[in-house]
Amino acid sequence: MFKELDPILHSQLRLAVISLLISVKEAEFTFLKEKTGATAGNISVQLGKLKEAGYIDINKQFKDNYPLTLCKITKKGIDAFEQYVNALQSYMKPGDGTE
Amino acid sequence: MDNKELSHQESLALINTMIHKAKDSYHSTGVGAMMWGIVVAVCALVKLAEIHFWFRLPFDINLLSLFALIPQVILSIKEKKKRKVTSYNDDFIRPIWLGFAITLFLLIFIINMMFDGYGPVYREYIQLAGHKPTFQFQEFVLPLFLMLYGLPTFITGVGCRFKPMLFGGIICWLSSIVAVYTEVRIDFLLTAFSALIAWFVPGLLMEKEYRRYKRNEGVLNV
Repeated sequence: MFKELDPILHSQLRLAVISLLISVKEAEFTFLKEKTGATAGNISVQLGKLKEAGYIDINKQFKDNYPLTLCKITKKGIDAFEQYVNALQSYMKPGDGTE
Repeated sequence: MDNKELSHQESLALINTMIHKAKDSYHSTGVGAMMWGIVVAVCALVKLAEIHFWFRLPFDINLLSLFALIPQVILSIKEKKKRKVTSYNDDFIRPIWLGFAITLFLLIFIINMMFDGYGPVYREYIQLAGHKPTFQFQEFVLPLFLMLYGLPTFITGVGCRFKPMLFGGIICWLSSIVAVYTEVRIDFLLTAFSALIAWFVPGLLMEKEYRRYKRNEGVLNV
């Protein structure tokens, strides 16, 4: 029986953001934008969805008089990411009729 | 990058790419490590020259380490400002090196106090016995420093999976053992050698990697 893929993570940009955040303690919004190559608007919307799901924490502050948005993956986000990768791997096992 | 749904292979490939990109992004410049490697090596070699060629500088060359703190603080602030990510390693590396600096200054203070106490006893012994004592306290000072140099270097090497620093830490400890059995001049040479291997060489490699990352930064973006 295949595990169901988390719909929040099974989207290109949100998965890219979570994969970036899983490797670091904290990242600036501009870092996520640069690494994913997405537009600021699109990435803001997707960050909002991840935050709503409780997968990330967003902290807004100021640095040298400029607004600074810091993103951090939560425990729930880490668990969801691990489950997502496990589910993907179960799909990919030989003889499971993967794509 | 848009918001399309991915196939399973594409998802795994994307995860791999992003994790790789994130890991690639927290390279530190090696300038600080290189600077400390040079400062400690220069201090040791000047001290060695003072003993070997019978001269004294009008100031203690070790003060150079104090002055090197200024560019180090500036470098750290600049690097922190430039960084867009905080890695998990930052949590333990900063306190370890801060703790190392505090321990180093405490050790210098304690050893100076011991020398202050030992000096009169040493002179009195020479007066009474007519020769220098066989036990020379100063012969054991540099091994203590080398032992201390090895600790943060080794931990950083292990924690960051950076073999040159791990190797550098081990070299410091081995030099510390050797220095127990060698005279002060050799101890200074070992200190200079260890500082170059433990900090300058890893710093050089870090700087090279950092520059490579900076060059490729734009090219790597999806």
